Amino acid sequence: MSFVVIGYPGDRRVTLFADACRAAGLAEPQVIGWPDVLRGSFTLPAGVPVRIDSPGEDPEADALLRGDVAPTRTGGGARWYEGFVAGLGRIADAARDADAPLLNDPDEIAVMFDKRLCHARLSAAGVPVPPVLTGVDGYAALRARMAEANEHRVFVKPAHGSSASGVIALEVAPGGTGDRIKAVTSAVRRADGFHNSLRVRTYRTEEEVAALVDALAPDGLHVERWMPKAALDGRVLDLRVVVVGGVPTHAVVRTSTVPMTNLHLGGQRGDLGAVRAALGEDGWRKAMDVCARAAACFPRSLMVGVDLLLGIGWRRYAIGEVNAFGDLLPNLPGLPDGPAAGVDAYTAQVRAALSALSGSHA
Amino acid sequence: MTVIEHLEEYAGLPVHEFEASAERLPDPETVAWRIGEGRQGTWRDALIALLDSVDAGRIEAIVVGRYGNGDSDDHPGKVLAEVADRLPALRSLFLGEMTMEESEISWIVHGDITPLLKAFPKLERLDVRGSDSLVFEPFASESLRTLRFESGGLPVGIVRAVIASDLPNLEHLDLWLGEEEYGGDVRGDDLIGLLSGERLPALRHLGLENSEIQDEIAAEVAEAPVVVRLESLSLAMGVLTDAGGEALLFGQTLTHLKSLDLHRTFLSDEMAASFRRRLPGVEINLDDRKDAEAHGLYVAVSE
Repeated sequence: MSFVVIGYPGDRRVTLFADACRAAGLAEPQVIGWPDVLRGSFTLPAGVPVRIDSPGEDPEADALLRGDVAPTRTGGGARWYEGFVAGLGRIADAARDADAPLLNDPDEIAVMFDKRLCHARLSAAGVPVPPVLTGVDGYAALRARMAEANEHRVFVKPAHGSSASGVIALEVAPGGTGDRIKAVTSAVRRADGFHNSLRVRTYRTEEEVAALVDALAPDGLHVERWMPKAALDGRVLDLRVVVVGGVPTHAVVRTSTVPMTNLHLGGQRGDLGAVRAALGEDGWRKAMDVCARAAACFPRSLMVGVDLLLGIGWRRYAIGEVNAFGDLLPNLPGLPDGPAAGVDAYTAQVRAALSALSGSHA
Repeated sequence: MTVIEHLEEYAGLPVHEFEASAERLPDPETVAWRIGEGRQGTWRDALIALLDSVDAGRIEAIVVGRYGNGDSDDHPGKVLAEVADRLPALRSLFLGEMTMEESEISWIVHGDITPLLKAFPKLERLDVRGSDSLVFEPFASESLRTLRFESGGLPVGIVRAVIASDLPNLEHLDLWLGEEEYGGDVRGDDLIGLLSGERLPALRHLGLENSEIQDEIAAEVAEAPVVVRLESLSLAMGVLTDAGGEALLFGQTLTHLKSLDLHRTFLSDEMAASFRRRLPGVEINLDDRKDAEAHGLYVAVSE
């Protein structure tokens, strides 16, 4: 018994999963790189279960997906997505031909990589999500839709972005001393356009904000209400909850002094015990239930990483995003009262996969 | 860095967020009612829903949460003044209790609160967060015990109106002075009328905080006649460096204070030790001191 992993050979995601396989007494997974998938030059071994992982920062895959642009450049998401979905389609075809079970589903991954589709799927299932503003194809439309909906604070996200790439926390006010605008984003303006950076910047002029929104818009935008986040010890926070086999197994608190909580933008891990205490046991159960319901919208994916927003006051929950590859939480032990207590998210998935496959592949 | 968490307690009462859909509501006088604008309807609608849901005559404390800045007719101060006859027991009021995730402090718009102050002559405590468009005419109140202005940039007009008001029983005054960039144009000599001690005969606590000219403020306080009457003094949250610390430490005696709040300053370890050594009987808060070289010099709450 072993697995095939489609990912970035040598990347941490791949080696951590391989470690979990070895620890479970399984053979080393066979790794297929995304460039081979994207070129169509790969085959899957017959009957071996396949885990689809992220192309990650594989420069070769990135070049194939994005074309000849600097890797830091914001935008290009539509082209990236088109190539990625084509690759997913090839994986689905190859898996069918090889009669290989897939641990995660190409169609579901494609939905998760389009924030608009993902939001719509969650919303249709009655999972709490922030209200969305649709039909935003540029800055003028954004402001018009905000005015219609009486929204003064929104998150503007590239439909296909990840890791806060191109995300804008935008606030506007018809203030007492004139109109105001403030946009917090990791995008930085250079001569050749906007780039992602490791520092969060603030833009305060309409000209700059409009330029950024209009630069991102052709690749698709997802715009939703900025739900005021709960905070502890002077830092706002949200949760990344890994759901394996339908059950929340791992959770980290991500805290920040800026609207984005991503670790590479200065976010820090927070105290999960303090968050559980603030939510109360009943609130915690409800929060985990919301995550499980979000994951249930992707029933053919063994694992999803759910971003859970906790509203200020600790009584409101909403799902920010569902991440197909949201399990990179090295060495994080599972929730003590869950089925993966004490083991990391990769081990939890290996166990769950073995259990799910045992019927047909024992 | 800015205000980031809601109050859980206000005026000695637990804060309770009013939700019109709630099945059971607490007794009106046992909580501070937090009223925020709902997704449907204005802040006014939310307040009226509360007044219609409980015996409003027993409400003692209100915390005004989120509201839209758009229509000044719906600013909470104005709305509250209009319904004052339905709130005869109101004693404590917090205007603009929003966090950074709800509104930048400098974006919270208030307007003229003179009608509010006139409509609630029995108010004992008033807290105001944010100072955009905030104005009031000098007023007289024998009831007011606590007055607090939290701001990223407090306009000098507010300080002048406080000084010109007749508040014989005011015991506690906090002013977050903030930065000039956000409208904070108070200079040290604007505070003379306050620091002379001729006004505010009952004052026991003075906070002159969150100032980018905190050293200058400290130097003024070091000479201020009012200090002898204080039990507690706060010069926290601002750009207080060793220069201001030295001025304070070598000015008039502070040994009579019960507490001295110097948290979130830029005082050195040596200066902090000097304060502890020279004021052994005073409870001094020197937490969260910043390193100017690592962080730059800035106030705790600005935008």
